[in-house]
Amino acid sequence: MHPSSFEYFAPTKMEEALELLSKYGEDAKIMSGGQSLIPLLKLRIASFPYVIDISGVQGLNRITENKEFLEIGALTTISSIADSELIKKRYQILHEAAGQIADPLIRNRGTIGGNISHGDPSNDIPAVAIALKANLEVIGKEGKRIVEAHSFVTDSFTNVLKVGEILNKIRIPVAPDNSGGCYIKQKKSAGDFSVAAIAVQLSLHDNDSVKSAGIGLTSVAPKPTRAMKAERFLEGKKINDSVVREAAKIVVSESDPSTDFYGSSEFKRKVLGKIAEEAINLSFERATVR
Amino acid sequence: MSELKWGDRELAYDSSAFVRGSGHYVDDIKLPGMIHMSVLRSPYARARILSLKGGMSSKDLGARMASVGEGASPEAGLSIEPVFATGFVNYVGEPVAAVFADDRYKSTDLLESIEVDYEPLEPVVTIDDALKLGPIHSGRKDNIMVETSKGTDFQDPESPIVIEDTLENDRISANPIEPRGIVTSYTDGMLNVWISTQAVHSVKEGLVESLGISPESVRVMQTDTGGGFGSKGGLYPEYVMASYASMKFGKPVKWIETRREHLASTNPGRGVRGKVKIFAERNGRINGLKGEVTIDAGAYDSGIASFSPGFVAMQMTGPYSIEKAFVVARALFTNKVPQGPYRGAGRPEASFFIERMMDMLADELAMDPADLRLLNMSDKPFVSPMGLKIDAARPFFEGAVRELEYRRESKMSRGVGLSFFVLVPAVYPGESARIIVKDGKVSVWLGGNSHGQGHEIFVKKLINEELQVPEELVTLYRGDTGMTKTGVGTWGSRSAIVAGAAIVAVCKKIKQEVEKEFGSYSVRSLLSSGYDEFINNELKMPLNSFGANLATVEIEKMGRVRVKKCAAYYDVGRALNRDMVIGQIQGGMAQGIGQTLHEGLFYNKEGQLITSSISDAGVPLAEDLPNFIVNIVENRSFLPHGAKGLGEAPTVGVPTALTRAIESVSGKRLRRTPVTPEELMK
Repeated sequence: MHPSSFEYFAPTKMEEALELLSKYGEDAKIMSGGQSLIPLLKLRIASFPYVIDISGVQGLNRITENKEFLEIGALTTISSIADSELIKKRYQILHEAAGQIADPLIRNRGTIGGNISHGDPSNDIPAVAIALKANLEVIGKEGKRIVEAHSFVTDSFTNVLKVGEILNKIRIPVAPDNSGGCYIKQKKSAGDFSVAAIAVQLSLHDNDSVKSAGIGLTSVAPKPTRAMKAERFLEGKKINDSVVREAAKIVVSESDPSTDFYGSSEFKRKVLGKIAEEAINLSFERATVR
Repeated sequence: MSELKWGDRELAYDSSAFVRGSGHYVDDIKLPGMIHMSVLRSPYARARILSLKGGMSSKDLGARMASVGEGASPEAGLSIEPVFATGFVNYVGEPVAAVFADDRYKSTDLLESIEVDYEPLEPVVTIDDALKLGPIHSGRKDNIMVETSKGTDFQDPESPIVIEDTLENDRISANPIEPRGIVTSYTDGMLNVWISTQAVHSVKEGLVESLGISPESVRVMQTDTGGGFGSKGGLYPEYVMASYASMKFGKPVKWIETRREHLASTNPGRGVRGKVKIFAERNGRINGLKGEVTIDAGAYDSGIASFSPGFVAMQMTGPYSIEKAFVVARALFTNKVPQGPYRGAGRPEASFFIERMMDMLADELAMDPADLRLLNMSDKPFVSPMGLKIDAARPFFEGAVRELEYRRESKMSRGVGLSFFVLVPAVYPGESARIIVKDGKVSVWLGGNSHGQGHEIFVKKLINEELQVPEELVTLYRGDTGMTKTGVGTWGSRSAIVAGAAIVAVCKKIKQEVEKEFGSYSVRSLLSSGYDEFINNELKMPLNSFGANLATVEIEKMGRVRVKKCAAYYDVGRALNRDMVIGQIQGGMAQGIGQTLHEGLFYNKEGQLITSSISDAGVPLAEDLPNFIVNIVENRSFLPHGAKGLGEAPTVGVPTALTRAIESVSGKRLRRTPVTPEELMK
């Protein structure tokens, strides 16, 4: 539990952070809350000569809403998200997911940007970002660019960020009326990662048929997964038992879980199927509360 | 942290220090010039070492091989773990080389400078592999480490009911809060060792054998020990390395285990399979039992492998009066870390096998499990065909059924499990104690030391009873081979029995001395003079006791089990301190729940440990625990102070009761621990 030596920087401005990042390139690693990185360093699963701690960078821990977007700074802690009245009231799915991440100590330090950037297929926020069709704002010395949430994480612990880039903001489109969503996480024990988890967000037409669906999956593939076929299947349909069952089957077909000590891939598919049904039903219920 | 001057400072043992945060653990020791040791471990379950460059390794130790140091025949020599892997590695986590630096960051860095070339070989990972594949150690004809039998073989009786099944407890890590650790210092021909341990004398004897030095030149002192649960009972390769290094470099050496190392390299417990066949009449009366016990013993004999198979087999009829029984038992080599004792150490396994079979037989006959058990118990003491001595079981069990309110519980819900067992404490061969009376104070040492049990509480109480010395004048010191010539250790539910008896015996000796000097005994006379008495108090008679547990559960969604109630009814003999007894039982019940629902060490086909963090290894969390209900029965033992064994009772009784409760509610036949959500969702 003793990391190899590294040089530590704690910039307070984004420009300084980007400067350091461009100077040290692939030898540098960005740290925000450190809740995933520090264990990796201590176990020497990873080592970096330069660690750039951006947790002191100003202005990146705000939660704001305008007509189009809910905007969350990348350094916003998971507990700030879990505690936000705005998010609790209008983005229940995100509120639910944040409150189920690890334990209070980790939530107090861990950030939304870190949770997404780390690329761990068991991290919860990416699936929620996928379901909410979030845009991720990435910043580099050359400027900013937008990446869609579902294409941000490209493989286990790998993302689209180029050398010199940092995830800056998470933008979630303001949900139209008649929308509802939920995050259901099945875990072995308190504070643990999930066996399987699912984020579902539904928007309904006035006649209660599905206008748009967003479905993101956690822990059931090498990366956070968008269940796109299930989304398309649901769109335009009215929710009833057989539709939900069929949609859950499609969700399972879009997963690719591995066998580990949480259980066999078969078991995880079974769990995913059950929570998918539960999540679609609950999202629909929430979307129809007027 | 302040620098501790060990050796000068008092080594008094005081449990309240742990609550106050002022315990002194081995990692608190800082000696001038001390260097840190890090250990390079095998990444393969089985491989040939083609070349090795850097660090201290087997070639530095010459012919020294033994880790446990039990006098070995040439054949047994193959089964004893070398200090450093020699030519081959046989489990993931096996020590290959060690490096030293003046701090732990640097010694960890140095690990990267060691160059090893391995040629991976096909590993033997499971019990089935071990029976099917060739031997892991060349020079042996198969993977059978030891094979023995208990009881007498008999012709299958013509019973109308015959049931047979295979049951298993997966391996689990002891996972004490404090992992293993040692500090060694060699000065003026004397090797001083400070260590987190259950038994200073075992460590000393092992070092003497392994290093080939005289007993007079080694002193092993216990530091505060943050739990052991069996895993810190004996010698490990790292202790030999650290001792040898301090002799070679002339500097104090410290080694502190990481949690990863603990999970990979500290001897885990369980890992036992039992195949049991029961012959019975239609009314439920059992005519006979046949069984096979197979232990996944790992790559080497940790020191208990030769003893374990017979010990499990001996207990396979449990508290029941089964007249015919025969059990074949063996330990098998696999390419995994050597298996060792873990709270219960053979007792929970045997109990799991017989209790699961009793429940299955009850189901087969559509009988109530408690009634079936009652039918197979004696009103009189009974000696099993395997030599297990038990008292009259029926009166105790009737009391248990009543006090645990089993009948009411089983009417109220389906999810009820009841277990019954006989606890077989490790009484043999007794224990040592020393008392020094000087300057009006009484100082005490025991051959086996506390690693969380709170020995000082019963020591003070018994000395007060025997010699009327006020408790505040009595101090128990930590284990120290410099203060006790011989000693055994703390394990196997033995301390209240054997250490208690040793204290009483040494008190009697002192009392006689006082009477000789003063004509009669008084506490004033005692404290006004000086005495120093040591006794090696032999105890060889078994001292078994009964216990029963009741558990109730609910199964929540996705196969998650919620334990609602966990109750105990144990005969602890005379409870020397009720709070300590209750604490022992509650802690043990938590571990019993852990084994049943959460804990397991899992390896993949390549023999890689998958559960490599404490979270993955599944220790129970607060939210997993119910309210505990503890019923204490005090039937005094034949010993003067009346104590019986206790420590392991809950890990024997809880897994069986809990597994039955889950089985009753799920309707699924359960054959192994841990019981996983996956199994319940099938």
